Amino acid sequence: MRDLYIKSAAFYILIICLFLTSCTKEKTDYEAERGNTVEENPEFKEVSSSVSSGYNIRIEALGGVLYRGYNDIRVKINKQQTNEPVEVSSVGFRPIQTDAQGVKISCPHQSVLDYTLDGRYFSGYSVFMNTSSEATTCSLEINFKIGDQTFSAIQNVSVKPQTNKNLNMTTFTGKDNEQYIIALISPRKPNVSENKLVAGIYKLDVAQLSYSAVKGYVLQLDPRMPEPSMGNHSSPNNKDLVQQAGGSYQGVVNYTMTGNWTLNFILVNQNGRVIAGTEVPKDFTPGVEGRKSELYIDILF
Amino acid sequence: MKKISFSLSMLFLGLNVNGQSNAVTRDTTRRLEEVTVNAAVKRRIENELKMAVSVDEFVASASNISFIKRGAYAWEPLLNNMSSERSTITIDGMHVFGACTDKMDPITSYVESNNLSSIAIKSGQEGNLHGATVAGSIDLKRRNTSFGLQKKIGGAYQTGFEFNNKQTFNLGNLYYSSDKFVADGSIAFRKAGNYYDGNDNEVRHSQYNKFNASLGLAYKTSPLSAVRVDAIFDRAKDVGFPALPMDLWLSRAIITSAAYKQLFEEGLVKVWDTKVYFNAVEHYMDDTTRPENLVHMDMPGWSTTYGLLSKINLQKDRYSSEIQVNAYDNLSIAEMRMYPQDRSKQTMFAYSWPWVTTRFASVAMNNTLDLSDISRVVFGGSLGLNYNYSKYVEFNWIFHPGSPQKKNRVLPSLHASYQLNIGSFDFSIGTGFGHRAPSVSEAYGYYIYNSFDRYDYIGNPDLKNEVSYEANASAGFKTGRLSIGAKANYFFIQDYIIGRILSLGSPMNYQSVGVKGYTSLHHATLFNLALDARYQILPGLDWKAVLTYARGQDNMGGNLPFIRPLSYQTSLHYRYKMIGVQTSINGDFSQVNYSPEYGEDQTASYKIWNASADYNFKIRKLTAVFQVGAENIFNEYYSTYADWGNIPRMGRNIFTSLKINF
Repeated sequence: MRDLYIKSAAFYILIICLFLTSCTKEKTDYEAERGNTVEENPEFKEVSSSVSSGYNIRIEALGGVLYRGYNDIRVKINKQQTNEPVEVSSVGFRPIQTDAQGVKISCPHQSVLDYTLDGRYFSGYSVFMNTSSEATTCSLEINFKIGDQTFSAIQNVSVKPQTNKNLNMTTFTGKDNEQYIIALISPRKPNVSENKLVAGIYKLDVAQLSYSAVKGYVLQLDPRMPEPSMGNHSSPNNKDLVQQAGGSYQGVVNYTMTGNWTLNFILVNQNGRVIAGTEVPKDFTPGVEGRKSELYIDILF
Repeated sequence: MKKISFSLSMLFLGLNVNGQSNAVTRDTTRRLEEVTVNAAVKRRIENELKMAVSVDEFVASASNISFIKRGAYAWEPLLNNMSSERSTITIDGMHVFGACTDKMDPITSYVESNNLSSIAIKSGQEGNLHGATVAGSIDLKRRNTSFGLQKKIGGAYQTGFEFNNKQTFNLGNLYYSSDKFVADGSIAFRKAGNYYDGNDNEVRHSQYNKFNASLGLAYKTSPLSAVRVDAIFDRAKDVGFPALPMDLWLSRAIITSAAYKQLFEEGLVKVWDTKVYFNAVEHYMDDTTRPENLVHMDMPGWSTTYGLLSKINLQKDRYSSEIQVNAYDNLSIAEMRMYPQDRSKQTMFAYSWPWVTTRFASVAMNNTLDLSDISRVVFGGSLGLNYNYSKYVEFNWIFHPGSPQKKNRVLPSLHASYQLNIGSFDFSIGTGFGHRAPSVSEAYGYYIYNSFDRYDYIGNPDLKNEVSYEANASAGFKTGRLSIGAKANYFFIQDYIIGRILSLGSPMNYQSVGVKGYTSLHHATLFNLALDARYQILPGLDWKAVLTYARGQDNMGGNLPFIRPLSYQTSLHYRYKMIGVQTSINGDFSQVNYSPEYGEDQTASYKIWNASADYNFKIRKLTAVFQVGAENIFNEYYSTYADWGNIPRMGRNIFTSLKINF
């Protein structure tokens, strides 16, 4: 009797297994869906290194590549002979882009790098406005102090186009006739969820030919899906970007699904004046491509 | 005719049910004729007019059931004018959850009339045995043949044709019964084309195609115990939903269980019945049949449930009781992928059910105590624990930032009623209290498009339990030829869950006009009344009539949606020797209390006249019935209050069927 029960149960389980394994359509691999081409936490690798006055200066970036837009940068300084770290009291950093006319502009950057004890490196960032080409070249100027002595070095580097649209950037002239750059810093790999949106906003000092972070501005945000079939779809609970202690601007963007999104911006200065950007229609208009603000960045994930 | 007719008194309160179960229990103790003791009285799956009905048509003939219809197939049953998340719908006590976010696959669509023996409907908290409920329970009871029948092998074959939508169906079932072993099998095919409305216009996308098969094997392990394994396989393909912007490409369900039953001759415990079950449902939408759609979408859904139920029946003198433990684990997944017009671009993806797990466990007890020969109390209660887990909770955070990924709920339920039977009169009065947890869509749904009010719906994980307080009463008078009955119930539902327009966000589905979020109304009230009468005019000639009235209001006195207007049904049956003739008229009055706020417009009254005739005959040892009839003889063009998008119902339909029993 027992045997029969067990036999029928086994038969039964077999049937179940057959059906279980034969799901007609496979479920979506969600991890792959949200962009497995983008590495979430790539490692810092060497971009270039040079020798100056007996010191080895090594510049690192994520994945070993500098891209147009925002880049985290690390600098390591070692003795050339022993490759041992040395006591560096400070590191100054300046990225310079030279255009076809020979005009040199310093890109938005952190001029004094921070020291991180455990990794024995100095860190900062740079926002490259253009990719390297025959017309545009880019070099990094590094000054470092060991004891009382100051050393400097220049390294030419190559800037590649950014393939991850979530780290896109835009340059524009504001209503105050100033030159601005907005560069996305994070998220590298957004989710269908609330995402902390971090961006850098920089203004050109024409006299110095140098960009610096603007203070006390607000970057108003209206994210929408531009695809005609999405009918100007937007998301709730977004927060405008305001400046943080570190200088970067932070807000919240909600992506309701994967795909193409446009971040429509309005940039407002510390006095509440609109510097750039326009309101976009809020209506749901299926079949019509969403109108973009004059100031926007497209992303995709 | 009486045998196959619906006993209305049973439907509302299900009170007779407990009374009958004792007798069944005693019978089976002696001989174990059945494997499961069904508490409810068996009713054959036929309605009065038509012997070859779909499960939907059969359930529809109960007076407290109405339907939301999105086409000719897979109607969503509303019990006591409440939508399906407020009732527990089970198959032999097993929970099965549809895999479609648009409720296009209610559980009733995964069974077929020839693998069911009856449907037990209980109203309100009396239906708490299988799980927490507000509206009540609908339990679809599978056919199972007794051990040791005189006729070892038997079965039935039924075929027919319906002219309006060119429906053909072939249903067959077969059993084998010996003293030790029983096998039941059934197989069913249905195929229908588009139907035509009362203006003789074709209702496009209303076709369907269904295959269903079931198998049950039972083995008597001792004179007082048996094991049984059951499986149902159901497949629907190419099913049109005229009221929706898409159709069903394929849905499949496998519903399986293994049960053990032990009877006891001595002592308080009479029966112990335990079952483990597993079911998996997959449901794939298809919009490639609708070239007018702006966006091509894929909307696959999966629902997998494991469960256990164990029940004992107790009996001593004037007291009887059933105690049941339920547990299940369900995983519901629904995806939504939209394709841009330029197909080379990246698709857009989101979960409409972000891998939501529901675990539920409950203990329920229902008791009957005969106070005297004329009076009886029925009382009971249950305590349930409900756990939800949303794997991709970040989807829920978009509208409800910081809502918890896991949620536990305690769901208590209590009910009591008193029944009195004096001569030809019987009365009952009862009350109940119970909680229910929000459904997966209500709590975790994400941009679920509702084509009725054309809003995208967003779930809220923090919704409170819906709490129902109910009162019910009935009165009846019965003599040999006449019976009159009235049943009424009233629900006061605190934190009634319903979709309200959100000022946040914007629609995702291109047909929708806005976003609604599930929220709790402070309360809502529902009142249902049914009057029924039968009279035997002559021997063989019976008249019957039912009138139902319902009213649902929110806390501001506004109307709730999907409340059936005043409706009636009256029928006449005549049987003479081998010939039966029946005719009926049914209809709704104009919908006075409709709810524009929830997307309703006023539905006009309608009246449908139906008639059929059948002939019983014998071919050698086989008994057979042939039936021919017509529904909507006047070819009235109409749609009901619950027809999604006001799609017109079927016009005149002539049906024929032949059933052979062997």
